[in-house]
Amino acid sequence: MKRAATILAVFIVLCMIASPLGAQTKLKVWFAVSGDSGEAFKALLEKYDAMNDDIVIEASYSGNYADTATKVSASLVSNTAPDVALMAAGPLYTGARNDFFIESKIAEPDFNKNDIYPGVWDYAKYNGRICAIPYGISTPVLYYNKAVLDKAGISMANPPKTWSEFIQIAKTAQAKGNISGSSDFWGFDVTDVAWLFKTMLSQNDNTVIAVKGSAVSPAFNDQKAVEVASFWKRLVDEKVMPVGQHANAEKKFLSGNLAFLVATSARIARWSKDQTIQIGAIPMPYFQKPSVALGGNVLIILSKDQKIREASWKLVKFLANTENQTTFALKTGYLPIRKSGLSLPDAKKAVTNNQMYAIAFDQLDISWSYWHFEQMGTMDQILAQTIDVIERNVMTPKAALDKAASDLQAEING
Amino acid sequence: MLCIQQLAQEVSEMIRIFGRKDAMGKKASHFNRDQHSAAIIMVTPLLITLVLLFLFPVSLVLMMSFTNWSLTTPVRDFVGFRNFLFVLNDGRFWKALNNTAYYTGLKLIVDTTIALLIAVLLDKKIRMRRFFRIAHFAPVVVPITASSLIWLWFYDPGIGPLNQILKLIGLPALQWLYSEKTALLSVIIFSVWKGLGYNVILFLAGLQSIPESYLEAARIDGANEWQVFSRVKFPLLGPVTSFIVMMGIINCFKVFTEVDVMTPNHGPLESTLLMVSYIYNQSFTRGKMGRGAAAALILFVIIFIFTMLQRAFTRKEVSID
Amino acid sequence: MVKKLRSQYPVTIAFLLVSSALMIFPFAWMLLSAFKTPADVYNYPPKWIPSSFKLTNFEEVFRKIPFLRFYANSIFIAVIQTVLQIGISAMGAFALAKLDFPGRGKIRIFMQSSLFVPEVVTMIPLFLLAAWVGMVDTYTGLIIPGLNCAFTTLLLISFFQTIPNELIDAAKVDGCNYYRIFMTIVLPNSRTAIGTASLFAFLTHWRSYMWPLIITNNVKMRTLPIGLKYLVTETQSEYQILMAASLMAIIPVLVVYMLMEKEFIQSITLTGLKS
Repeated sequence: MKRAATILAVFIVLCMIASPLGAQTKLKVWFAVSGDSGEAFKALLEKYDAMNDDIVIEASYSGNYADTATKVSASLVSNTAPDVALMAAGPLYTGARNDFFIESKIAEPDFNKNDIYPGVWDYAKYNGRICAIPYGISTPVLYYNKAVLDKAGISMANPPKTWSEFIQIAKTAQAKGNISGSSDFWGFDVTDVAWLFKTMLSQNDNTVIAVKGSAVSPAFNDQKAVEVASFWKRLVDEKVMPVGQHANAEKKFLSGNLAFLVATSARIARWSKDQTIQIGAIPMPYFQKPSVALGGNVLIILSKDQKIREASWKLVKFLANTENQTTFALKTGYLPIRKSGLSLPDAKKAVTNNQMYAIAFDQLDISWSYWHFEQMGTMDQILAQTIDVIERNVMTPKAALDKAASDLQAEING
Repeated sequence: MLCIQQLAQEVSEMIRIFGRKDAMGKKASHFNRDQHSAAIIMVTPLLITLVLLFLFPVSLVLMMSFTNWSLTTPVRDFVGFRNFLFVLNDGRFWKALNNTAYYTGLKLIVDTTIALLIAVLLDKKIRMRRFFRIAHFAPVVVPITASSLIWLWFYDPGIGPLNQILKLIGLPALQWLYSEKTALLSVIIFSVWKGLGYNVILFLAGLQSIPESYLEAARIDGANEWQVFSRVKFPLLGPVTSFIVMMGIINCFKVFTEVDVMTPNHGPLESTLLMVSYIYNQSFTRGKMGRGAAAALILFVIIFIFTMLQRAFTRKEVSID
Repeated sequence: MVKKLRSQYPVTIAFLLVSSALMIFPFAWMLLSAFKTPADVYNYPPKWIPSSFKLTNFEEVFRKIPFLRFYANSIFIAVIQTVLQIGISAMGAFALAKLDFPGRGKIRIFMQSSLFVPEVVTMIPLFLLAAWVGMVDTYTGLIIPGLNCAFTTLLLISFFQTIPNELIDAAKVDGCNYYRIFMTIVLPNSRTAIGTASLFAFLTHWRSYMWPLIITNNVKMRTLPIGLKYLVTETQSEYQILMAASLMAIIPVLVVYMLMEKEFIQSITLTGLKS
């Protein structure tokens, strides 16, 4: 009897020791967001870790988007890659390497893939196939300084719908709304030039790039695009926007020297907390039809080991479920990607209490994206340079866009 | 430093080595065997670091330059000289080279002359010398994340102090970093401010090693301060000056972080696109590691040529005795 | 004669005051900014004097990032790297400057060439090597690849060459071997040079950003420059915390500078080289 009891006791003890030892899976997670977003994401990871005894998460902030891309590339070559990464241009590390693991998993019913906005899915595709999970998604938002508009006597009860209407409002605001008394007071500026330009292109029936099979070619130099670029030129010619100072745009806005600013929706969380200026938002003006281009980061799974892949997918599913993704969005100003997320009480509260959230969330219905392709980073750079050239009157819009298109085509051809 | 003589000495040694003659062209003495063994031990750690941290990576870069290595996709095909041809035909490459030459020339001249002047002044036994020294070294010490933010504010066309001061004097405000005419100049000013302290210290070290007796002798002979400087100090500073100029050329051609933090996206109309920015852009932003490697090798050759030229121009040091 | 010299000093001091002011001006702004509140920062026109001189920003630094850990890492790595680098450079410089051996010129050219390669170029190949030997996220991985000795070696060669060969030959005749000559004659006479080289080496290692970023994933292994970058918010507007952190980050370099400065002052009393 005693012997049996001893054997049983030993067996039980062995089981207790063996189970965590044998079954603990370590997941390495890198994320490219810091500040509020970093904290929010880390909190979710910690929550998952606590809920799952068999999983240990090793999380690390890998730097901004550019630094993270470098690190991930280097790690892939040296086989030290993380298992899960939250980063920009994720599809270039999965789809471009023929890794469509995620595409096979999202069909799972409990993932509810149709709950995610179709426009948002486009942001996670390579060659038309899904290979990432959209996560920290943002759109450009048109913010304004309430005090400036008050002083200029402009009401935003009926915001301007088209860009030509908008430019008049911006001019009035600039002329009459100078609250700081500085000579460097402007009506309008934008932080990310390429992003707004692509948004405007999509509003004017231009798809930025054309896809034929698996070949990508630039499409941003047709007549529609030239119209958009010519309008952009109007902004500087009519002295509503300063030339080439977009790097300073946000600073200017926050110190009260700018009436309107186009910046990422990811600022909303921070700008809703105590700020020195009162900020509002209006729907993005458009040319032919309302549309905004998407930006932000996505989740990808990089591990090659089958068991770790499955464990990574479980983590990704957790992070991207309605409750967690919406919480993340509300803490940061990234957008809820799920329609069901918008009906959560917290989301509804955010929309009623904070007009900026309302505007940003509404824009999800008109959000648009082209598929990821290898040279998209270069394209953004070329577009930014092209706008710079147009603003400074070095080339006409048509000539500048044609040159940009041929530069990008040369890059694509290799 | 008898630079030309030294260069000749080294070249002749190399010829001797390659010509398989006796490496020690002098009379053999037992000193030489000791020198060999001591030298081997003393030089080996240095050689190890050079092989690991220079030879190995550069060999890899050399290999990369003949392929179309991509940063994102696992493409690895041999493409011969295509990368080199692309780079040499790329307008942006030549623009980068042009900008880099302008940057190097201007910065080198301004930096070296001012540093020399300040070092000479700081060498004197004046009050507050320690304060002045540390004041000039302070910019070197400030982390670049902080100093770049400070200067970005300085250069703000609207609210920055520099334009405020110009307005006070009655001069027109400048666009500084935001106009293609002044952007590179603004970056150079920032670089000079940041790097001056380095050269001041080097010149000071050089000045300290000039024996006081020579200066005394010159003064007793009736030389005034300027003559003491031009006839005694400056010639004896030959080695240090030559070193500073050489390092200056090399560092200017390699400059990257300073320019990148002041003008992300290469400045207005790419006027602050410099060589290493171009390499970084090709390798990391565009993901074409092969092209970046080719550009890096071309840069290597260019720097090599410039340093050879600089050595040829260096004056002989006046012999002390 | 003496009167002539003294009359130049006021001009000298005036000039130095102006140039010092130009050098310190931004530094002063940094110092003041470290005390500003967010309201001070956004104020237009920007305020120079902060509204209060509390230490809140400094406390915030420790709350926002594991500042102490980064600090400790940086000091540990920089000190070890500097000691190793100076050791390797001084030995190599002595051999290349004063000893005659085959391949001397080749090594010198080889070493100089290593200066022609920017960090961004060697970064990826070095990372591949480091990852292959398992040095990712280790102190070894942080320390060893930073040992680029070419600059300090060339600097020391430059100074060692000013030591007269007669001194060395005399010691040799007296029966010293080259190691003793190195330790007892060359090193003591080059304190300024070694001090300068150490300062520069330390500064380079202290500021290193790209390599530590790529070789570490674990936050606990990271260094101060990476930590400072964390504090640069996306808007670059709330710089007051960054300035506070930067002020604290400067201290070790200033300490090394002070130590080295003593060498300058001491070597003034040794007129030239002792015979």
